[in-house]
Amino acid sequence: MKTLKIGLLALLAAVSVLGTQAQTLDEIIEKNLAASGGKDKLLALNSLITEGTLNINGLQVPVKVTAVHNKGQRVDLTINGIANYTIQTRDSGWNYFPIQGQKKAEATPPDVIKEGADELDIQSVLLNYKEKGHTVELVGKDDVDGTECFKIKVVTKSGLQQTLYIDPANYFIIKQVTKTKAGGQEQEQTQSFSNYQKMDNGYVFPFSLTGFGPGELKITKIQVNPVVDPSVFKPAN
Amino acid sequence: MRKLIIVLAALLLCSASFSQAKITSATFGMMEARWLGPGTMSGRITAIEGVNEDGKTIYIGSAGGGVWKTTNAGASFKPVFDKYCLSIGAIAIDQKNPKVVYVGTGESNMRNSVSIGVGLYKSSDAGDNWTKIGLDSTEHISKIVIDPKNPDVIYVAAPGPLWSDSKHRGLYKSVDAGKTWEKILYINDHSGCADIAIDPTDPSIVYATTWQFRRLPYVFNSGGEGSGVYKSHDGGKTWKELKNGLPPKPFGRVALALSPSSPNNLLAIVESKETGLFISSDGGENWKQQSATANITARPFYFSVIKVDPNDPKRVYRPAFTFAYSDDGGYSFNEASGEGGWVHSDMHALWINPKNTSQLYLGTDGGVYLSLDRGATWIFLQNLPVGQFYHTAVDSQDPYRIYGGLQDNGSWVAPSSSPGGVGNSSWQAIYGGDGFWVQPDPLDPNTAYAEAQGGNVGRVDLKTFKTVNIQPQGAQGEEKLRWNWNTPIVTGAANKKNLYIGSQFLYRSRDQGSNWEKISPDLTTNDKKKQQQEESGGLSADNTSAENHCTIFTVAESPLDENIIYAGTDDGNLQLTLDGGKTWTNLAANYAAAGIPAQTWVSSIEPSRFSKDIVYATFDNHMFGDHKTYLGKSTDGGKTWALVQSPEFTGFAHKIREDLVNRGLLFLGTEMGLFATVDGGQNWFRMKNHIPDYALVRDIQIHPTTNDLILATHGRGIIVVDDITPMRSLTRDIIEKDVVLFDNKPIELTNGKYGDGGFPNTGGWNGGNPPSVQAIQYYLKERVNTGDVKIEVYDGSGALVQTIPATKRKGINKVYWNLRMTPPKVASGGSKTDFSAFIAPMVLPGDYTVKLKVGDKEFSQKVKLVENSADKKFTMEGRQAQFKTAMELYHLHEQLAKVVDDINANQKMLKDNLGNVKSDKVKKLLNEYNGKLEELRASLLATKQNSLFADEQRLREKISDVYTAVCGQEAPPSNLQVQRVGVLQQEVQKAEQSNTAINAKYLLKVRQAMTKEGLLKDDKSTLENKKGN
Repeated sequence: MKTLKIGLLALLAAVSVLGTQAQTLDEIIEKNLAASGGKDKLLALNSLITEGTLNINGLQVPVKVTAVHNKGQRVDLTINGIANYTIQTRDSGWNYFPIQGQKKAEATPPDVIKEGADELDIQSVLLNYKEKGHTVELVGKDDVDGTECFKIKVVTKSGLQQTLYIDPANYFIIKQVTKTKAGGQEQEQTQSFSNYQKMDNGYVFPFSLTGFGPGELKITKIQVNPVVDPSVFKPAN
Repeated sequence: MRKLIIVLAALLLCSASFSQAKITSATFGMMEARWLGPGTMSGRITAIEGVNEDGKTIYIGSAGGGVWKTTNAGASFKPVFDKYCLSIGAIAIDQKNPKVVYVGTGESNMRNSVSIGVGLYKSSDAGDNWTKIGLDSTEHISKIVIDPKNPDVIYVAAPGPLWSDSKHRGLYKSVDAGKTWEKILYINDHSGCADIAIDPTDPSIVYATTWQFRRLPYVFNSGGEGSGVYKSHDGGKTWKELKNGLPPKPFGRVALALSPSSPNNLLAIVESKETGLFISSDGGENWKQQSATANITARPFYFSVIKVDPNDPKRVYRPAFTFAYSDDGGYSFNEASGEGGWVHSDMHALWINPKNTSQLYLGTDGGVYLSLDRGATWIFLQNLPVGQFYHTAVDSQDPYRIYGGLQDNGSWVAPSSSPGGVGNSSWQAIYGGDGFWVQPDPLDPNTAYAEAQGGNVGRVDLKTFKTVNIQPQGAQGEEKLRWNWNTPIVTGAANKKNLYIGSQFLYRSRDQGSNWEKISPDLTTNDKKKQQQEESGGLSADNTSAENHCTIFTVAESPLDENIIYAGTDDGNLQLTLDGGKTWTNLAANYAAAGIPAQTWVSSIEPSRFSKDIVYATFDNHMFGDHKTYLGKSTDGGKTWALVQSPEFTGFAHKIREDLVNRGLLFLGTEMGLFATVDGGQNWFRMKNHIPDYALVRDIQIHPTTNDLILATHGRGIIVVDDITPMRSLTRDIIEKDVVLFDNKPIELTNGKYGDGGFPNTGGWNGGNPPSVQAIQYYLKERVNTGDVKIEVYDGSGALVQTIPATKRKGINKVYWNLRMTPPKVASGGSKTDFSAFIAPMVLPGDYTVKLKVGDKEFSQKVKLVENSADKKFTMEGRQAQFKTAMELYHLHEQLAKVVDDINANQKMLKDNLGNVKSDKVKKLLNEYNGKLEELRASLLATKQNSLFADEQRLREKISDVYTAVCGQEAPPSNLQVQRVGVLQQEVQKAEQSNTAINAKYLLKVRQAMTKEGLLKDDKSTLENKKGN
């Protein structure tokens, strides 16, 4: 009886220690990658076509993001039948917004392209971050709209500064703050992610994003590793 | 048996606390505060440091508003220290790696109202994240210096505590970038280190000044044997006192400057019996006296900065009562020009860009100024809302106005909302001097009572700002009246005619201060030892009424009975009258019995509005070195008191406020935060809600009609939390549920309270407006990370009106529906954005249903939409007329969109096939058909527009012109708007007919020709479907 009691006490102590033990950065990253579908899956991610809609006062604006890992990303945005796009590759970038009266695609300044190069990583900035040359640091915990999150600071090899907030309840990234300095001005963009869904292929993606335009971007379809014609990363206009 | 019950009860309590969701500020998630400023009058700036390499990244430390950072030379600022103590003493940047920034908390301008710090912080990422690195008990830090050759070596000058003896003062040094600290210069427990300089060419040479000083609530002393000037040749291991040529001791505070480009040249302003500027050209070995102008000798304890241009040893700056500069090493001084506007007096910080020494940033008691001509003229930066309010009050106008008095900066008023948001131009100064209490007359919207320090109270005409002095005067045989620095002026809570003011006596007026009645004897301890203010200051006389003592500090009339009046004094008396002032009882011993120290300042008293027996009071003992939070509650009219405690509390207490509706809801403002309880004080939480965690909350008001919480902060201006009703209604039953969609109050149909004035803000500070459309509110126990969350609105017939993306945060969520339908489908394409695609008609009053969908769960509530009570002109009839016209135009857009879709589909078909047509004749036919369609399309929507600045109006744009106008206005359509619909209907009909005619002419022919070419298979169905057109 006495032994049982001691055993129980020890167990209780162990459990409470487990419960309170601080997690290391790598443990958190490990869990975040697992929550996103797992390392292997992410490593196998080569291209993505994500489709969704932005809801602006009830107007549904179709958005399509075509991304090839570390090569390029194109966002197509069709507003009432007028097609706009923005393209970013490792060495060039283009913006075409006829809704703003633009007649042809205009080049992105080189420092913006350089700074954003690491954003073309679609597998996860946290995956093998050391090999990629990023600096990643667990700053501590911080509040995101009432949820106490792990706060992880990333400075990518290209110098982009990102702060990621990971919900300890499920290890999803729920907020990301990106600081850019290109163009001689410091700017912050905040994005939030929710409605994480596990797809049949095992990948887990957020199906709701904010901070990518006005209001919420709702994802309706994600194609994993589709064949992408490289010409989409060249401006047609 | 009894023990068993206690154990069981305790167990029950434990288990209850485990299973219950905790109420914190996160529970009220979206209830976020607005920072109203003002920016047009800022607050005391204590430290300015810039990044030398870019000259535009600058950190500003403030007396009670934390650290603000600009990365654009001051065009905009962001607070970067809002989770920590907001009183800033010093900032230092490692110029070799400017991401490394040190902040010392606790300013060292040792005035009576100075706040207290909690140690030293370090950031390694340019202010994004901070870590506390020690010196926790220093309370005040005046300077941080980093060895320019070895940034691991850091010196911190800590004057140390102002209100108590302490060993935690002196000069500290770290040789490991802040990990460990050693005290390298310590005189005694009442003398700290005030200033420090190191030789940039030989950083082992260190100069430091020590300072003996002390405040008591009623006297200040600067000076003593502990003050001195020291030099070390070995990085602080050994020190030698510098004396040759300096005046005889004792010294007070000594401000020191070293010329960076000629480091043997030193300057020192030495407070002594003959305060003056002294210079040395041999590294401090010998000194000679220079200037002793008024600006040099002014208030040495308060103006402790002298600086030398980084590149020019002769150019010396003295920011003090005014701004003075010298071109001859301090022998003679010029004064800055007033060209371009008044430069605030009282200066404490100066940064000179070493790469462009014409560019200077100056910190004053009223904010930051920028000079581009070496300090000759100054430009005020109007975007730093760091004003230090003492008190605030509100009136009952719409929008209600917010009044308050600012340390150093007079009394101000602003509306709580304004077209374009509450900006700099919304604020108006109404009274001079230092500002404290301002009370609007509850019965006369044109009158307010405001004061300057020492009870200098005036009645202000709010239209003309003319004032009448209404300060009571002493009567024959009476002792001299003693007025607190921050003299209470209070209007009656039960009888709004009553106006109170307190010296050592309490006075009441019922005619706006024209005549006063003394309604008390001396309510203080009248301790003569505490009334020697003329001796205050130490070596330099300093008696500005800031040390006046044995005075009444707070007055409160019970909201339930005008005869019940409480008065609290700065020397510990808490007095009560139950008969309107005829007789008084001192409750000091009663509260002291609850463990609240005697002699504390009674900082606020709150007689309950729910029971005459309940009264709350806060007590501030920091002037005796005790920073504990003292909140007392009595439930028997002050006879016995309980000390209300919480592990959450930080900082000495300034203000307790009971909610106007829910007796369990209380707010406590302290020197370090705002706290709330929803259960009558059993559990408290720190209010974050976009309020800095450690905001210095001096006063709290709750507006009776808007239910806003208004905070007077001492360093972050006025902060307003709009509409706190969720805090009143949240029951335990609700917070235990995963999702609760609240029963919505009727929603008034409006575009909002204000138009936008047509232009965006052009700078300055803007605190915005409260949302003027009512929110749909719901509660989520936890943030929703998996599954969709959205809101659908259905009309009375059950038709879906709009789907709105919904937020997913933990706690209360607020979603704003624009009260409109889903926009029409507008003719697509063309060369121009058509805004009709984003705009829908406003719905009509009536019953609607709100459905909240969280994952696969659905919650539903009825909501009533009603007319806008603020707009009587827009009647139901007018709304119906507007809706009818708007819907006619809505349908016209959709009708036209159908035609254009049809044209687009046919054109696509032609385009897809043209390349495969072999016969030239058929090609010609297809081209001809396409040409006709394009001709029609080009008449229906803008297709040629070459730039944003070349307008092209076709049918779509014509419809949009009137559609957007009718939808956007809160008025019935005009006669010509209505007539216009008829004109446009005809045009749309004509367009339909033209399309039909073109198709009739070409479609069959094209189909036959293409069939012959063998091209029709894919498009057969399309073509067949189009036959009808």
